[in-house]
Amino acid sequence: MLRKVAAEGEKLPVEERRKFLKNGLVLAGGVLAGAGIGGRTDAAENGLPPNVPSWTRSLGPGVLSNPYGKPSRFESHIVRRNVPWLTADRIASVSFTPLAELDGIITPSSLVFERYHAGVPDIDPEQHRLMIHGMVGRPVILTLDDLRRMPATSMIRFLECPANGGMEWRGAQMDALQFTHGMLSCCEWTGVLLSTLLQEVGLQKDAAWVLAEGADGSHMSRSVPLEKAMDDALVVYAQNGEPLRPEQGYPLRLINPGWEGNTSVKWLRRLEVGDKAWYHREETSKYTDLLADGRARKFSFVQECNSVITFPCPEKPLREKGRYEIRGLAWSGKGKISRVDLSFDGGINWRPARLNGLVLSKALTRFSLEWDWDGGPALLQSRAVDETGYVQPTYEQLRSARGTSSIYHKNAIHTWRLHEDGKLTNVQIA
Amino acid sequence: MSRLLSTARISCTAMIFAVASYGCVGDDQTDESRATVAELNSPDIRPAGHYGYGLDASPEEIAGWDIDIRPDGVGLPEGSGTAEGGEMLYENQCASCHGSFGEGVGRYPVLSGGEGSLTEARPEKTVGSFWPYASTLWDYIHRAMPYTEPESLNDDEVYAITAYVLYLNDLVDYDFELTRHNLTGIEMPNRDGFYVDDRPDVNNELCMQNCKELGSVRITSEPEAAESDSDPADKAVVVPTLAGETVYQQACALCHAAGLADAPVPGNNEDWSERLTLGRNVMLENVLSGKGAMPPQGGLARFSDADVAAAVDFMLSQSRN
Repeated sequence: MLRKVAAEGEKLPVEERRKFLKNGLVLAGGVLAGAGIGGRTDAAENGLPPNVPSWTRSLGPGVLSNPYGKPSRFESHIVRRNVPWLTADRIASVSFTPLAELDGIITPSSLVFERYHAGVPDIDPEQHRLMIHGMVGRPVILTLDDLRRMPATSMIRFLECPANGGMEWRGAQMDALQFTHGMLSCCEWTGVLLSTLLQEVGLQKDAAWVLAEGADGSHMSRSVPLEKAMDDALVVYAQNGEPLRPEQGYPLRLINPGWEGNTSVKWLRRLEVGDKAWYHREETSKYTDLLADGRARKFSFVQECNSVITFPCPEKPLREKGRYEIRGLAWSGKGKISRVDLSFDGGINWRPARLNGLVLSKALTRFSLEWDWDGGPALLQSRAVDETGYVQPTYEQLRSARGTSSIYHKNAIHTWRLHEDGKLTNVQIA
Repeated sequence: MSRLLSTARISCTAMIFAVASYGCVGDDQTDESRATVAELNSPDIRPAGHYGYGLDASPEEIAGWDIDIRPDGVGLPEGSGTAEGGEMLYENQCASCHGSFGEGVGRYPVLSGGEGSLTEARPEKTVGSFWPYASTLWDYIHRAMPYTEPESLNDDEVYAITAYVLYLNDLVDYDFELTRHNLTGIEMPNRDGFYVDDRPDVNNELCMQNCKELGSVRITSEPEAAESDSDPADKAVVVPTLAGETVYQQACALCHAAGLADAPVPGNNEDWSERLTLGRNVMLENVLSGKGAMPPQGGLARFSDADVAAAVDFMLSQSRN
């Protein structure tokens, strides 16, 4: 980018050139900080050393210029994006988290991928209620205040749509990390354990399932086994320290840690306890995994161990040969990540990566490994292992077990092809 | 207080939770199953009704929200409808997305056909070819359809449309009348096509060295767009023009909001009346080149001309009324 700006600037008359460079540098501002090269050629008009930039010689806006803060305008490219042809419209659709732009394990609330079946309801919290009934001792209607009075639990857990990467079953199709893996996020969720609520209302004999239902126009509903409800399911009112975002279920949602995102019903209005599953549309027609023999897995809840390299990637190419820290994310719906290995030769040889920062159960986990790029082509892969010993599988293994029509739960080892010019593309290899 | 007393009646659950189980016993438990003092003092063991928050849900309140239907028919209301009766309803309420024959319009769901396609390369998962239970159809139409107006159909209409979609899949006759009593008897073709998740179904090895033969690695697929020379990093950088108010707050407000050095205050008509006669372009030129105490571009060279113009327009918009 900067090279391009500089090269095109060479062709212009001096005065025009200064103007061009000024504008060009504003445009390239987002890249400048990360690239660290190319900015030294013509610094007369900019604020690079020995000059002092304009913002160092003036006042900035004061407090409350943005009562609810927002990112720098130079980061305005960090947004959710969609794939228009995936869905019939944007009301029942999905958008993707820009994983290439994120560091650490927490996804900012504004960037958590969206998945709606009837758009985002505009819910007045004063008018919102959680009804718990069915095979319980005392059917209740709870307000948000009631829920906030109960013991609060916070947990950092990933949330992933089971269709994440589903476009890749038949072959590499999406040429950006945002679209190959972006139905993925990780937040701190705060609320009341569902087990606390069920204990509070009391369960009748033979209770075995809980139906969770949303207050949106689709009344999204899923049957959740009581084992999960009594284990770590959380009825959530806060996300990353503030009230849930409307896109994420404001004012109340369910979080089933480690399970496919669809079961974590948003805009939660009702929990019904029963002795059998309900077999609603989202657990029969959808969110079942069709296999090669024509049969389908049902109640395939767990998001199995998965990983992806987030730097470099198609959105973040390498600029020159030399040493880089290769970085990525690993996660498992069955617990903690125990190790991640990286390959640069398409899976012939592997090197253990370092796990960085917090390694939490059912949370995104950071890994990295320093690597010297010699400027040649390479095939970059990551392979995660979770604490159950499960090793992230290859495409070949997944396809041989399931065929190519499953849509959901694709967790294959992913390959980035690094080209000699430093660009990366999504490929599948054998 | 009365609530706490009433919840004591279900204290059977307290004992059950005390042993970290979620099963329960019958309704005839009496006071001897109350939690002991020791149990109450444990932070992890609380009897049902420990908090007592919320209101008891009345049967009427529950009925208004309890819309779920199960394959065994639990939840189905009284009512009926024929496929014939559902045809016009379907045509008016459903066909614009799902097609007159359930064939689907654009990317909206296909409802019919696809029989025998589940093992094909491009399976067509429809009500007839894939859905295991007819109850799911009734539940979903009532729950979420019509798309733009969910819960607007009455129960008879839901029975009629359900019957019509079943008819489109050759599962009932045109004159078939669907009711609460015969819906569970409809056998869907793929009712036995599902089994409970049995993963893990793959077992990769933790190989570290020479896991494949050298030279054996080949690329099997690549996105078509990979051939283009577009640079995603270039595409990603788009810095829009600042909103006028933002520029004003950063560059202009320090003087203009307080009226320092005779700077006109936005919204103060006395300050602006004479200046407004100059017209926008003259004022913009004055800001860009500087005037009086005001330096060129309001003193902030980092703003583009367009940013400055946006700020001027913002200030004018505050001052014209």
